[in-house]
Amino acid sequence: MAKTILAVDDSGSLRQMVAFSLTAAGYQVVQAVDGQDGLNKARDQVVDLVLTDQNMPNMDGLTLIKSLRGMSSYQKVPILMLTTESSDEMKAKGRAAGANGWLVKPFDPKRLIDVVQKVIG
Amino acid sequence: MQSETIPVEELRQLLAGVSDHGTQHLLEVEADLMQTTYLLSEAIEKLGACFMSVHEAVTAQQQELDILLQQSQLPAEQQQKLLQYREHIAKEVNTAVTGLQFQDLTSQLIARTIKRVNGLKELLSALATHGNSMDSEQEHQEIARLLQEMNQRLNSRSVELSGGLRKAVDQHHMGSGEIELF
Repeated sequence: MAKTILAVDDSGSLRQMVAFSLTAAGYQVVQAVDGQDGLNKARDQVVDLVLTDQNMPNMDGLTLIKSLRGMSSYQKVPILMLTTESSDEMKAKGRAAGANGWLVKPFDPKRLIDVVQKVIG
Repeated sequence: MQSETIPVEELRQLLAGVSDHGTQHLLEVEADLMQTTYLLSEAIEKLGACFMSVHEAVTAQQQELDILLQQSQLPAEQQQKLLQYREHIAKEVNTAVTGLQFQDLTSQLIARTIKRVNGLKELLSALATHGNSMDSEQEHQEIARLLQEMNQRLNSRSVELSGGLRKAVDQHHMGSGEIELF
């Protein structure tokens, strides 16, 4: 059975490219348009990995991670940030919030798939 | 003989002029940036759809080729060529996927610029408002104090504006970003 990845990003083109790359690698992708939508979809269905942007309307990525880590079903689910942010300060905040990794946009599909495979197989 | 009268009215007009002209230009800048955002977004949406469609067709074509290859005995040299084409297509698809993400980066930079433009409009508006409060009957020292106060408020608003505009995009090249697992 295909593993499910929740891709959270307010950019439609970015979500499309994430879904395209991961689907081609055999993963099932659930898309969310912002942190709040991501949280709602994560509640509906426990996924195998969360890939989230940081700067989004309604709820940002760090808040989403903190909310997910507060849920018992998401305490061990890997969460990766996929964002334009690349400062050490932001990475430290992500790590403190409970992120397992940091990917700076734009992503290379092959490298993204390599990381996802490394994290969830 | 040098006049001791301060040309308050002229000063007020100058401040109002700077504010009005500046605001007009900034409105144009804002409109152009919003149009650019819209056009970029539309272009990427269409490019994305074309890309998906082309990829779907190429994938189907490759599947048909695989069937043909299984059914016929192609010389090894031609088989190798087909494999090279397939690898080349896969490499270009990866590059296209990376390239199609740049609209996200540029739209973030444009959004930041629009916020700065709006902040500048507020600064200019403050300039005109303070100019209006100048009374031609006021003493020289009082007008100097008013100008100083105006300058301080402008500085303070400018710092406030810069503080609220943290740069979220540092990318200066067309390659993909770094990856770090914690």
